[in-house]
Amino acid sequence: MNHLELAFRNLQRRPTRSILTLLGVAVAVGSFITLYGLSRSVNENVQQAFEERGNDLTVRRRGVAEPFGGTVPEAVIPEIAKIPGVAAAAGQLLSFAATDNDDHVIAFGWPESSFYWSSVPLAEGRLPNPGERKFALVGKDIATTLGKHVGDDITLLGDKFHIIATTNYGSVINRNAVIVGLPDLQEATFRTGSVTYIAIRLADPANQAATDRVVKAIEGLGGFAVTRSESVLKNDSLVGLLDAVSSSMAWVALLMGVLMVLNTLLMAVLERTREIGILSAIGWSKERIMGALVIEGFLLSALGSGLGILLGIGGSRLLSAIPAIGRYIAVRPTPGLIAVTAIAAIVLGILGSFYPAFVATRASPAEALEHT
Amino acid sequence: MNARRTDSNSLIALEHVGHAFDQGRIVALHDINLTFGEGESVAVLGPSGSGKTTLILVMCGIRTPTRGVLRWRGDPVTTLRQWTDLRRSQIGIVFQEFNLFPTLTASENVEVAMFGMGLSSKERRRRAEDALETVGLGQRTTHLPQELSGGERQRVAIARSIINNPTLILADEPTGNLDSANASAILDLLFDLQRARGATLVMVSHAPDLAKRCKRLIKMKDGNVIDQVSHAREAVP
Repeated sequence: MNHLELAFRNLQRRPTRSILTLLGVAVAVGSFITLYGLSRSVNENVQQAFEERGNDLTVRRRGVAEPFGGTVPEAVIPEIAKIPGVAAAAGQLLSFAATDNDDHVIAFGWPESSFYWSSVPLAEGRLPNPGERKFALVGKDIATTLGKHVGDDITLLGDKFHIIATTNYGSVINRNAVIVGLPDLQEATFRTGSVTYIAIRLADPANQAATDRVVKAIEGLGGFAVTRSESVLKNDSLVGLLDAVSSSMAWVALLMGVLMVLNTLLMAVLERTREIGILSAIGWSKERIMGALVIEGFLLSALGSGLGILLGIGGSRLLSAIPAIGRYIAVRPTPGLIAVTAIAAIVLGILGSFYPAFVATRASPAEALEHT
Repeated sequence: MNARRTDSNSLIALEHVGHAFDQGRIVALHDINLTFGEGESVAVLGPSGSGKTTLILVMCGIRTPTRGVLRWRGDPVTTLRQWTDLRRSQIGIVFQEFNLFPTLTASENVEVAMFGMGLSSKERRRRAEDALETVGLGQRTTHLPQELSGGERQRVAIARSIINNPTLILADEPTGNLDSANASAILDLLFDLQRARGATLVMVSHAPDLAKRCKRLIKMKDGNVIDQVSHAREAVP
């Protein structure tokens, strides 16, 4: 028998309490992973969606808290396209559009000249012909969800669009989006002459100095904010709110798990006062007795964390399976997040066991032995 | 009468040791002067409340004397750390109430006393099984305390007390919770182990016939040593 086995044996004494504490830690760790994973996944999914379409920079109206809330005049696009270092510039209008069966989809409006068209991964069908109107390219996932096929019609914002292709993008957002012609979406949303943002493809994206010059030139036009694809949601107030709420809830959950470990060990210490006296009587030092209790705390938090990781992964899949979330975000906790959460839970669990361990050694051996 | 021995082979000596509870209002031990030599067997007798158990607890540092000095082989023992080290490696204690861990097997209860001795868990297991064999429980090593009789539990406690080859075994009414047959067997075992290992045995008891089996008898009353008698039943000068 070693210290770990001894600690395990002590936890087995009160199986119900130990299991409940384990579950408490597991739920805390699982919640942390799921909630933190959710807020992180929003950014990652948006970034992935931008990157796979070949975006290097995004131009939006300055001072708009929601990235897709403002509009940029379409007229500025040719001016931006002329800036040295800009390989291509294309406007995109974005709208959450009501569709058949009271469902909603993300609709992208692309102009005929957009560089986006060159990288559309067609699953089935064709790209639009020059001058074609009222067409739609439907993401593979949303096509399956809505039961739509090439040749069918889809209703967006009350207008009928003819499905000419299904797309097979990698990101969840793009797999659930519908691409239509820019003029059609502008008319349907009463935003003629406007786009939500301008996508920029750089001539040399690896050249930081050239990129900085492009950013400066665009911002010099006045009223525009330029961001890289990876930081497109950086100043988004809604994402910021989601981040703050989910992070706070995640930390509260984790702290509750730590308090459960502390409470369980404190109860155990109070119940085992006499046994702690026996340990002292047979020559265990205070440090060794404290160490034994800290090992119990470690075991509770480590086993709870292991279970919590499974719950977190399961919880993330569950969230992704909810249509309202899974259509836009694939909640995927990263190995880094899982590792950091597990380590944090174990470290906090160990720290939480120090107070009960201190209480355990505070009583004199004689008093402890007299305890009934 | 408080007597004082000054043997050159003194293992543990109490010099003017006193102990009081409740901020000095209850005095459990008055001015105690006692010396215990290497390999001695000593019975401490006296009625309830005479200070016998307090004496045992003071002699192993579980209770700290409120006055006086304890010496281990001539050196004063003053810190909790010193007492902890002594209890781990030099002093074995047997309690009336066995004080076993209910969730640990007989073998594990003995193993627990070897933590901190620098032994591997395999070696601890081997030694614990040997010790249980010595006390006649070789077939009961995997049993939990509640699966053992009172006598068997006390044997486990004795195995635990001798596992680190102590030079001093303190037994506080070790037969107090046993029937007469088991009590006799436990006393036989303690004396056999004391003789075989050359340890000093100090045993507290109510039973006057215990004195016949010890080389020395100390009688206590009201926190004082009132008499000391050698194995020839002569008063120690």
